[in-house]
Amino acid sequence: MKQEGLKIKKVSKSVNGLRIVDGVTASFLPGRITALIGPNGAGKTTLFHLITGELFPDSGKVLYRGETITCLSPYRVARKGVGRLFQDVRVFENLSVYENVASACYKHKTETPWFPFFRPGRLRTIDQQISEKVEYWLDYVGLAANKDDSGSDLSYGQQKLVAIARLLAGGFSLMLLDEPTSGLNSVMIRKVLSLLEKIVEEDKEKTIVLVEHDMSVVREIADWVYFMNEGKIAFFGRTDHVLGDKEVREIYLGF
Amino acid sequence: MNYILHLLIMIGIYLILGYGLNLVVGFGGLLSLCHAVFYGIGAYATTMLMMKAGWTFLPAVGGAVIITAFFAFLVGFPALKFRGDSFVLVTLGFQMIVFTVLYNWVEMTRGPYGIPGIPRPSVAGYEISSLPAYLLLVAVMLGISVLVLFTLYRSPFGLALKALRDNEMAAEGLGKSPVHLFLFAFVIAGMIASVAGSLYATYVTYIDPTSFTLDESIFLLVILLVGGSGNRLGPLLGTVFMILLPEALRFLGLPDTVAPNVRQVIYGLVLILFMFLRPQGIAGKYSPR
Repeated sequence: MKQEGLKIKKVSKSVNGLRIVDGVTASFLPGRITALIGPNGAGKTTLFHLITGELFPDSGKVLYRGETITCLSPYRVARKGVGRLFQDVRVFENLSVYENVASACYKHKTETPWFPFFRPGRLRTIDQQISEKVEYWLDYVGLAANKDDSGSDLSYGQQKLVAIARLLAGGFSLMLLDEPTSGLNSVMIRKVLSLLEKIVEEDKEKTIVLVEHDMSVVREIADWVYFMNEGKIAFFGRTDHVLGDKEVREIYLGF
Repeated sequence: MNYILHLLIMIGIYLILGYGLNLVVGFGGLLSLCHAVFYGIGAYATTMLMMKAGWTFLPAVGGAVIITAFFAFLVGFPALKFRGDSFVLVTLGFQMIVFTVLYNWVEMTRGPYGIPGIPRPSVAGYEISSLPAYLLLVAVMLGISVLVLFTLYRSPFGLALKALRDNEMAAEGLGKSPVHLFLFAFVIAGMIASVAGSLYATYVTYIDPTSFTLDESIFLLVILLVGGSGNRLGPLLGTVFMILLPEALRFLGLPDTVAPNVRQVIYGLVLILFMFLRPQGIAGKYSPR
């Protein structure tokens, strides 16, 4: 059987004696948007930290495309194709929009100090290719006109688009999006949602996982839902199935 | 005329130091308080290689660069476990340690007595002893250093450093390794400082540890704070300003007894005004605090 997507096997993590994530097993498939929902403090963001290597699990395993990525440093996990949109966005504020996206494109072999001296010709070619790539993705997310603005000059919504463009241009096949629509106005929310739908539709290899609090967003774009409560996966299944469940409604939605 | 040549030579040496440190402070966003250490190690290593091992100038410069790289790695590796204020304090610690060693290891460095009579450099058979010739040597060394550094500034390496500086977690999430990239920057800055040390030692022909104190490290940092860091113009403006300011104050015609004190006060005031009015420096966009 071909190992695909992201698999989490019995992952647990305690912080200060408190079990934040408790034996979570889940799998996230390519070509699909999966939502991770649950009340505040359910362990959703911690689970993201455990996948990306910001935190190491006490026990359990994380596999991406059949490879174990448990206990790798964040930059190593990233090089396996795991990209993340942070809850607080984190654009590079002093870099231009162009540089923000370009920084995601360079492979680490070109980022050594000696590369520009030993392979100047190769670097010029790469620069050229990356410049085309950046233009393409900036156009894709609708920020072509803001190319030269610095990161801090953008609105919050535009910053989210830059962060998404970084993931797309960087070729990350797994996109972990921590609340991609929070703090956005309704126009921006529409823009982000249609962008995400377009991404999975055009590239069936992409796996998108999002943490989301807005149930109308989940209902609209998620194909599959994991419901987390007190560090455990309480329910999972197709979106309408989970959101229609009586117990989920009681614990989380309050009706 | 000699006075102007002397100033130009000193500006050249400090430009090498400033542009090198810019890689760490301006691009990496790490405030290092031990840059004078690498300047000093470069100066001492060159002196030893020339006077004790009998090497000529250029091989001695190369040898000193390698020795300094080794020390920069030794300092950078533990220091880069830390960020922000802790990094500043750890580099401050190394500055103190190295100064103390240079000062007290009398058999090796002659400690506070210093090392006089350092030979003038000779390149391809020509002894460089006149001021114009020395200025030319400094200019060539500066040119090479700046060429290397400007290439790095606009390389993917420079971009990755700036990304880490702006947001380390996000940059790491894009596959940038903070430890490797910061350590490269730190070691390269040290190697460049070593070249400045070689030039200084053979220009003044006398060195002692007081040229490489914490004051000197702070002075180098101030060059970047005043001029602006993270770009190409900042270190130039900062160096010219910081070297020429005390010289300009000389012409105020103050009585000799108060002149040095008044100069220090004015110097301090200028720094405070900069922090208030232009924290990112004259040419900077990014403010490293």
